[in-house]
Amino acid sequence: MKIINVEKIPEIIKKWQNDCEVFVPVDNEGAVDFIPWSEGSKITLEGNSLVPPKKLFFPQTETLYKYETKGQSANVIALEEKTAQRIIFGIRPCDLKSLEMLDDVFLTKGFVDPYYKLKRENTALVALLCAEACDTCFCTSMNIDPGAASGADIVACKSGEQLGLQAQTEKGEELLNKVSQLTTEGEIDFKKAGNFKLQADIEGLAEKLKEHFESPYWEAACRKCIGCGTCTYLCPTCHCFDINSNTRGDHGIKTRCWDSCMFSEYTLMAGGHNPRPGKKERFRQRFLHKLQYFPERYNKTACVGCGRCLAKCPAIVDITRIITELREVTGIGTGNVESVS
Amino acid sequence: MAQEMLKASANPLLPVVCKVTKIVDETPDVKTFHVTSENGKPFTPMPGQLGMVSLVDVGEAMFSVTSQGEDHLEFAIKRVGMLTDALHEMEPGQEIAVRGPYGNGFPIDMCKGKDLLFIGGGIGLAPLRSLINYCFENRNDFGHIQIIYGSRSPADLCFKDDIFNNWPKQENTRVDITVDKGDENWTGNEGFVPQILEEVNPSPEGKVAVVCGPPIMIKFVLQSLAKMNFTDDQIVTTLEMRMKCGIGKCGRCNIGSCYVCLDGPVFTLKQLNNMPNEY
Repeated sequence: MKIINVEKIPEIIKKWQNDCEVFVPVDNEGAVDFIPWSEGSKITLEGNSLVPPKKLFFPQTETLYKYETKGQSANVIALEEKTAQRIIFGIRPCDLKSLEMLDDVFLTKGFVDPYYKLKRENTALVALLCAEACDTCFCTSMNIDPGAASGADIVACKSGEQLGLQAQTEKGEELLNKVSQLTTEGEIDFKKAGNFKLQADIEGLAEKLKEHFESPYWEAACRKCIGCGTCTYLCPTCHCFDINSNTRGDHGIKTRCWDSCMFSEYTLMAGGHNPRPGKKERFRQRFLHKLQYFPERYNKTACVGCGRCLAKCPAIVDITRIITELREVTGIGTGNVESVS
Repeated sequence: MAQEMLKASANPLLPVVCKVTKIVDETPDVKTFHVTSENGKPFTPMPGQLGMVSLVDVGEAMFSVTSQGEDHLEFAIKRVGMLTDALHEMEPGQEIAVRGPYGNGFPIDMCKGKDLLFIGGGIGLAPLRSLINYCFENRNDFGHIQIIYGSRSPADLCFKDDIFNNWPKQENTRVDITVDKGDENWTGNEGFVPQILEEVNPSPEGKVAVVCGPPIMIKFVLQSLAKMNFTDDQIVTTLEMRMKCGIGKCGRCNIGSCYVCLDGPVFTLKQLNNMPNEY
């Protein structure tokens, strides 16, 4: 393992920045965000970002292609590919796991999304293990280990003022070689996060939910939701998008932007029919998608326990509580949840 | 490595520019558009598959490909919203953008060697027509073909040349047309599609029923078919949903864990009965 004092992290980043862009978690007036590192950027190694790093692979707004129109003629112009390499420094194990779900969506089932694929291929991942659980996170309930980071090129862990760096791939090896003059060989005493305040047990739930689509539970559960969509935007596994035209004069760009199943327009069809017309249907869609539909389609639960949705929900809709209530509704018992004082 | 991924052949979201070569007025609110690209057909769909059609500066929407020729595709489009309004304002020569094909299409293998009963209402005949034409082009692969089609009024009947001239002339084929209410020149059937279906009273023996139309028609047609002892795996229908990507990523066209753009739009009634009732 390579060791470096946390104060020296900017020096590593600077070295890497020579031939690629490095995104780091920076505290910006109380909200942590992944932004390209620049001289003076204050990297934060505590907690997690407000907006998940999915935005670096699946941006909130992204141009798909350009077009021109003139009279009756139309022209569609493909974008030039950006091949610059990028590094994301400090991605947490939960958000790292969410990339596996996004990979399933964007890269499988017969169609590969080239916009996502390009960014995935051009990006090296430096994961930062969690030594402390936030008040609102519950990754272990989603079978994610806060002390492991499979899929990352480099795993980093912090103990006191020391940061340990371990390469997991060839790409990671190369990156560490580039900064070998700044690091020393050694081990650090890292203890991964335990004592999660929030817990939920999803074991056996997906199979049972199928029979409870029409349960009166949904009517009751959705009541306090205000349909703002914050949960979907902050969710690292939510992947829904809209496609729009933005025209100026005789040319324009086709863009896609994050969309949300919490909005009525999302499924509203020309002619007025809406298969999910009310809050109950949309609320049910969000939770069944995470807990039943996604597991059926991709064999994974579409929740990584990052807790952003419940931390930022204005109505305090708590997915761990919903999971617990659904266990009761489906009659599979309270499940394996340790009581935490 | 990652070369040219955003270019046409590797990018399923990038459409092909096509020219509208012919526009047919089917009814007061339905037009059929013939489209062809520089290299002929933009793609070759199987019956029941879909194409994403766009006026690049207005928007994109998914339509079934109602028919195809050597070098063109046909889309029959009803005027119901912003994009379809704009499409209906087009003149021949207009360039649009098209991508596809999407969806599973009709289960040709399941239909082969069987008698086919097509039941359509209004614009619902558009997707059925792709399979009907396919059957006539491969006539020996299919048994008796029966088509029951209805609309609100004689003026609202789509594909008049096919339903009155081309199809009834085909061998081993029966076409029954009905309208909810006729006009002074109408001498044919009057009544709803399920009524005509019950009068015709087809036997389910060796048959596949392919149904598409407004929800209220489908509801009563399914009741009638059940009465005639059609089983749920003998009944096939094709669904509509709002779609943006067409490739199973954007999320909105799901019914439970199925995506209509990938796993549909064609489903048997048996499959639909196993899915949440949310379409």
